[in-house]
Amino acid sequence: MLTRKQLLTGTGAAALAATLPGGRAEAQAPVTLDVVHAYPSFARFFAPIAEEFTKAHPNIRIAFRQIMPNYDELHQSLLRGALTNQLPDVTFSGFNRLPELARTLAARNQIVDLGPLIAAEGATWAAENFSPRMLALGKVDGRQFGMPFNASSPIAYYNPELVARAGGNPDAFPDSWEGVIALAARIKQTTPSAMGVSYYINSFDSDWLWQALVQQGGGRMLSPDGKIVTFGDAAGLAAVRLARRFVAECGMELIGADQNRQQFATGGIGIIFDSPARLAVITGLVGGRFPLRTSPFPITDKQNGGVPTGGNAAVIMARDEAKRRAAWEYVKFSGGPLAQKIAVEMTGYLPTNLRATGPEFLGSFYQQNPNARAAAAQADRSLPWEDYGANGPRIHRAQQELLTSIMRADITPEAGLARMVEQTTALMRSA
Amino acid sequence: MSAHSPQARMEARWGAMFAAPALLLILTILLAPVAVLIALSVTDYRLGAIAVRLVGLDNYAAMLADPVFQRSLRNTLLYVAFVLPAAVFGGLGIALLVHARIRTRTVYEVIYFLPVTSTLVAMATVWQFMLHPALGPVTPLALSLGFGRIDLLNDPDLALATLALIGIWQLIGFNMVLFLAGLSAIPRELYEAAALDGARYGADRFLRVTWPMLGPTTMFVTVTSTVTAFKVFDTVVVLTRGGPLGSTETLLYILYLEGFQYFRMGYAAAMTVVLLVFLAGLSILQARVIEPRVHYA
Amino acid sequence: MRESGGVRPGRVLGGIAAHAVLATGAVVMLAPFAWMLLTSIRPPEEVFGAVFDPIPSRFAGLENYGQALGASNLPRAMLNGVIVCCGILAVQLLTAIPAAYALARLRFRGREPLFGLVLFGLCIPIQVPALPLYIALADLRLLDTYFALMMPFFLTVFGLFLFRQSFRTYPEEILQAARLDGMSEFEIVWRLATPAALPAIAAFSVFSVVAHWNDLYWPLIVVTSSERATPALGILAFRDAETGGNYGALMAAAALITGPMIAGFLLARRAFVRGITMTGVR
Repeated sequence: MLTRKQLLTGTGAAALAATLPGGRAEAQAPVTLDVVHAYPSFARFFAPIAEEFTKAHPNIRIAFRQIMPNYDELHQSLLRGALTNQLPDVTFSGFNRLPELARTLAARNQIVDLGPLIAAEGATWAAENFSPRMLALGKVDGRQFGMPFNASSPIAYYNPELVARAGGNPDAFPDSWEGVIALAARIKQTTPSAMGVSYYINSFDSDWLWQALVQQGGGRMLSPDGKIVTFGDAAGLAAVRLARRFVAECGMELIGADQNRQQFATGGIGIIFDSPARLAVITGLVGGRFPLRTSPFPITDKQNGGVPTGGNAAVIMARDEAKRRAAWEYVKFSGGPLAQKIAVEMTGYLPTNLRATGPEFLGSFYQQNPNARAAAAQADRSLPWEDYGANGPRIHRAQQELLTSIMRADITPEAGLARMVEQTTALMRSA
Repeated sequence: MSAHSPQARMEARWGAMFAAPALLLILTILLAPVAVLIALSVTDYRLGAIAVRLVGLDNYAAMLADPVFQRSLRNTLLYVAFVLPAAVFGGLGIALLVHARIRTRTVYEVIYFLPVTSTLVAMATVWQFMLHPALGPVTPLALSLGFGRIDLLNDPDLALATLALIGIWQLIGFNMVLFLAGLSAIPRELYEAAALDGARYGADRFLRVTWPMLGPTTMFVTVTSTVTAFKVFDTVVVLTRGGPLGSTETLLYILYLEGFQYFRMGYAAAMTVVLLVFLAGLSILQARVIEPRVHYA
Repeated sequence: MRESGGVRPGRVLGGIAAHAVLATGAVVMLAPFAWMLLTSIRPPEEVFGAVFDPIPSRFAGLENYGQALGASNLPRAMLNGVIVCCGILAVQLLTAIPAAYALARLRFRGREPLFGLVLFGLCIPIQVPALPLYIALADLRLLDTYFALMMPFFLTVFGLFLFRQSFRTYPEEILQAARLDGMSEFEIVWRLATPAALPAIAAFSVFSVVAHWNDLYWPLIVVTSSERATPALGILAFRDAETGGNYGALMAAAALITGPMIAGFLLARRAFVRGITMTGVR
């Protein structure tokens, strides 16, 4: 712990150094960026990207804080940090939490608008590197507060041996949910000890899979202004009915998310739906037991349907000018083709940078890893991952309980959906 | 020595000096926070908020009306009711059995105490693996014993009991050690005297000598076991996060969510006051019952 | 305390029954440890394999323990555990021993109320003052420091209670003799009473170190950086990172985290048991 005196003399010296002539002092003085991200398993690519970055910018060091277990807890700790003045310099906020984070921090002047920084890179820089839909994921109220870093939408993982045994075609995964349920029911029949499909919204750590089920049918969770709950409509009803059918017709059991993945890997589930970020882990878990395959997420409403784009965007909160500059270099690098190549190769995420799919970066990777293509194929179906505001985590817990009850048939899908809308509305109001 | 003699005053001065640091700590770490808690509980304070309002007993009213809180209280009381008798009487039973062993006594003492020293977070990850419905050893074991397919952590009716069993697993050795100490302190003459009075068999000896002499130990064990049971947290965090269907949401876990995840400090303070009332009640019980009855060598 | 007597058939049967019960219980007590160790030497492809097949075909202990030590925060977490536990214990002993002596042997104003406070505090776990302490530390910008990790535990009412019991049994004549010899009360505390209470101090130290090494609640709240992670946080982070990818390494990590406590307990067992027995919790 620093004494006040040390702090004062320290900042005094730094201020003095900054005003010296030849004041490139801060460009050469080593800067350490305080960075925090979610999901400990992401250290796999955050660490090498930080290393590559420091090679290119030797005077900037990246120091990672204790990694947050998931986006919700990261978000809560950032809000806490805003109030206790413990914000890091850079964070990678989940897309669904970005609006609330950006609005809260902007009101307190604790977040940097990246728009001017992007413009300063030149007229064509943005268009060369990012598609408008991609950049839009980082915009809040028209201002670019986040630079998309990881992007992904849910895909299907399936066991082609179980599919073939059930009479399905392993090369042609169904592209409708009726098709999925029919296939899963057959899998359950031909392999009674396995679950046909597991759509584990009862234990997934966020509402991403639940939003996907609604959005693919053309529904939305909230009205465009984010104030009214809209998933109580036909698309929402179709979604909860599907959820119940997974259990009733396809042999799904309600177990934990990790348990589902483990059971799938040992051949105990025919089809699961999860993040392409888990591709590497799941491939490792499966090992040589069966030839793992993936497929894009089935979309019922081809016009309006889509999938919520999970992932995170880099956000700069540094106050100090030298740190801000260093942070922008880091954020640019993270969104650049090299870093995206590293991230995608390790995870199967969708590259946020247009140039990253080029032959000198990811071209050969996709050739050698066809399973990674499923995510990339969904790039044009991306929809925002919708956010309920300050009470988001509580709302997720409440929704998950009701979804579990629906799937257990403790409550009818209609009644359950109505209750969900009611509770979500009440919790949004009491935030 | 009269109360105002120089020696008495010296003694008083030393006493005050020695006790001062501890007293300071008690003030800052125990009393001040409790006072702040009570104050916070009648406000709508959210961490870092600039404006704070007094809301009287609104937090308490909201708490009592909140089905999540009611459920967490119910779950916690159920958990304590499950763990307490098993941990106390189990510990006593094990202690009685171990106490009578000669050659294997040390071995058993060590084995039963191992779970107490272990890091519950680490062992909970082991339990998570063991209780895996498809991949852990407990499921095939249950099947071979004729129990059918049970999923101890994912079944809303079983999850709390499973956590309770793990809680007992972790606590029973601690109680055993305390009871062993208590048993060692019972003078042999009492048993010999009882034998002369005609109490020769196990049950008689137990009821006439052992059980009464263990009174203070039993009370101490009961109170500390209750407090430990009320504090259940690690297993909830590692194994269930309050699920399935909120069946393992306990008071402390809800408190943690409200105070340190949702930042509703005023509300969380009210919940802490409720927790404090439960625990303070036990403290008073202990003070009344144990202190006068503790024997000194 | 067995009564003397000949060996009767009933006694033998009773003995066998007792052993049966104890042994079954012992198996349950030990099962997770056995499972943990067995899994920690298994290679990943065999972790979910045959459940009743204890010997793995390939010894993967080195890679599992290596991964647990290398690919995670565990060594740092364990170092922090040592720092935090030692710091807490030091302050606890320095403040509790004199105060307990005063409560036990010296008459001073406020002695009874102070002891009342000690009793009151005995049943107030850290979770009660946690909220206000957290807010205070946040205001003082002291979150995520060693001080924040240690501070709430500087006070130990359990220690005060335990040491007081122990000091109550110290012979008054020796104290009087020492005073007549001209020893100051300060010297009496540290040179005479403390060494005599060593069993109780040892027992308490074991309690304290084990409790704080294993603590989850408070570190979970105050720690944000990986540099300050404590053992419990270390294993939690490792588990979240693995997401079931390598249970062998996870079990190795669990063994590493909980190992020191068990080893320490085995070494300090005698002192620990004596300390418990002598402090009059009867």
